[in-house]
Amino acid sequence: MTDAAALVVRNVSKQFGNHRAVEDMSFSIPRGCVYGILGPNGAGKSTTLRMINDIIAPDAGTIEILDGLAPGPEAARHIGYLPEERGLYPRMRVLEMIEFMGELRGLPRAEARRRAGAWLDRLGLAAWAKNRVADLSKGMQQKVQFATALIHEPALVILDEPWSGLDPINAEVLREVVDEIRAAGRTVLFSTHLMEQAEKVCDAVCIIARGRKVLDGRLLELKRSWAADGRIALGFADDAARARADAVLADAALVADRLPPRAGDVADCEVKLAPGATPQRLLAALVGAEVALRRFELIVPTLHQIFVERVGDTAAVAERRPEAAS
Amino acid sequence: MKDLRDTLVIARRELLERVKSKWFAVMTLIGPIGMIAMIVIPALIARSSTEGTQVDIVDRSGVLARPLAAKLETAKWKVRIVDDPATRDDAEEARIRRNEINGYISIDKDALEGGRIVYRGDNASSQAVSILLGQSIKDVVRDERGKQLKLTEEQRRHLATPINFDAQHTTGEKQASSGLGAFGLAYALGFILYMAITLYGINVMRSVVQEKTSRVMELMVAAVKPRSLMAGKILGVGAAGLIQIGVWLAIGAILLAYRDEVLGAFGIAGGGKALPPLAADEIAVILAYFIGGYFFYSAMYAALGAMVSSDQETQQVQLPVTMLLVIGVLCLTMISNDPRGSTAATMTMIPFWSPILMPMRYTLGGATLGDIALSLGILALSTALVIRAAAKIYRVGVLMYGKRPGLAELIRWLRY
Repeated sequence: MTDAAALVVRNVSKQFGNHRAVEDMSFSIPRGCVYGILGPNGAGKSTTLRMINDIIAPDAGTIEILDGLAPGPEAARHIGYLPEERGLYPRMRVLEMIEFMGELRGLPRAEARRRAGAWLDRLGLAAWAKNRVADLSKGMQQKVQFATALIHEPALVILDEPWSGLDPINAEVLREVVDEIRAAGRTVLFSTHLMEQAEKVCDAVCIIARGRKVLDGRLLELKRSWAADGRIALGFADDAARARADAVLADAALVADRLPPRAGDVADCEVKLAPGATPQRLLAALVGAEVALRRFELIVPTLHQIFVERVGDTAAVAERRPEAAS
Repeated sequence: MKDLRDTLVIARRELLERVKSKWFAVMTLIGPIGMIAMIVIPALIARSSTEGTQVDIVDRSGVLARPLAAKLETAKWKVRIVDDPATRDDAEEARIRRNEINGYISIDKDALEGGRIVYRGDNASSQAVSILLGQSIKDVVRDERGKQLKLTEEQRRHLATPINFDAQHTTGEKQASSGLGAFGLAYALGFILYMAITLYGINVMRSVVQEKTSRVMELMVAAVKPRSLMAGKILGVGAAGLIQIGVWLAIGAILLAYRDEVLGAFGIAGGGKALPPLAADEIAVILAYFIGGYFFYSAMYAALGAMVSSDQETQQVQLPVTMLLVIGVLCLTMISNDPRGSTAATMTMIPFWSPILMPMRYTLGGATLGDIALSLGILALSTALVIRAAAKIYRVGVLMYGKRPGLAELIRWLRY
């Protein structure tokens, strides 16, 4: 990973009619990073990616791609793009379709053909090379679409909702491909509303809602800082232990807040430490009060938990406008 | 450089997709079969339709029936002379109803002095029948009148000698050519262009709409400039059409050159007019306008395609463009009436109509090479502008699925 950024988005805004699709968006992606833009439907994810691909122009702000290129034909050669609107020429032969996109991204025809063949081998579609795109199943078309985005080995790969329509096996193939791109020092930017998937592949994320950035940063750091918030899940051995614990947890110097256990969690309760308190002091107090503990765990949040915490459940059903489909 | 390369890559794809399709091969073959049919069928009809026609002649003048019958019999008609001058029309019509005859010729008593001669029959609307009857009756009446004037056999033959009249077109600068032939050729060219544009222009439009229906446009717009995309499509689909038309024209030219042999193969004696000969400069002008007009209108259709989002909608929007073309074809007569007039000069500068009208104006000697250069320049510039506009409409329309823009919105898009 080098220091130079693969992509810098600075104070970018885009408005469709009266609808603010993206507002004052800023983030920066280091090279060799797998970066996820996360947000509910209609948050402005696709609009942002389209502006980077020069499909629509931002109303304000700047976008710098790789070595300071503005979005446009020059930058396009270094970008591989999987649009949210998946589409191929239905009457074209599979191999020719991939070759064609390679040529448009600047490869000589012979080289494009060679690489297209290699991609079909890799994706297990070699037997379909001479078939028409329309003869392929949706999943297979999806794989061809990936090949069209990656054939020219772009320095920046942009995938809009890459998991939509993928079965678990192909999702695994996609993850392998993403890992490979990262290993080669190239950069991946993708959007998704699937936090579980993002958590598995991302190095860093930017969470957006209603067109605005909510938070961004490296995934590990986000988790660590959120864990440092001091959330602890507790499990008690029996009711007697629970009763004894109540007295300890009522101490405002130790515990700021008591929360019911999360759905699906086996903890009896969850507490938020008071400012200045440490997990060690809480544990010492509980042990001192002879509370029989079944569980004492510093919670490392999932991306989904962070997302819900910061964006709120309401934003997950943000209004969706057709011309600003995100 | 990149734009040009993209345009060519896209054009190649569009061309190959079309040329490789089964339909292309089928259509390219059906064309010549149609052309052979167009030569042979009229000849077959012309030859066979009047042979064996059965007619009665009801002659009240007493002198015309026999010579007329003799003349018609040389054309292999079956003629019966009704001697009874009192024969009523309804009796003859009953015979037509019973299919005993095709029709009857009713000659008035004073036919030689200008009285009526009427043919009534089930084939009276046939051109061949009425031409043969008209000519025969004219000859017979003229001959009988000569006899009444006591003209000698030789004098009467002299009177019957055909008059040789021909209208020839010239502006004093160029060699005279047959006026009717020049008009016919220009009209045919205008019509072929009209057909080619409506046939293949729609293909360009479909190809643009297909980008939207197959949702491939976002992929394309991210990779290339919309202008390269539009230009590539117009070039590629256009080239496919030109190849097909080229094959047709080549076969057509061969067929025309060997028209007699083709007809002979179907057992028909040849004869008939060949096309007027064209000079090299005329052929060059015709080709230049054909190709220029073809690409100009293809660009118009591409712009239409950029406005709509489904195949069904294309039906509605193409009417205005088709109307423009029809206006051009309708104006052909006007240009041929006055190829050096100011209307002709104006119309042949406007890109909507110059492709159809200018070849005629030029072959009729109404335009200088300077006029041609100016008009072709306007055409080329307009084509580039229309492609530009199409690309803008397309680009802004990328994200607008479903709704067609209003006029005000379109103008706003063009200023984007």
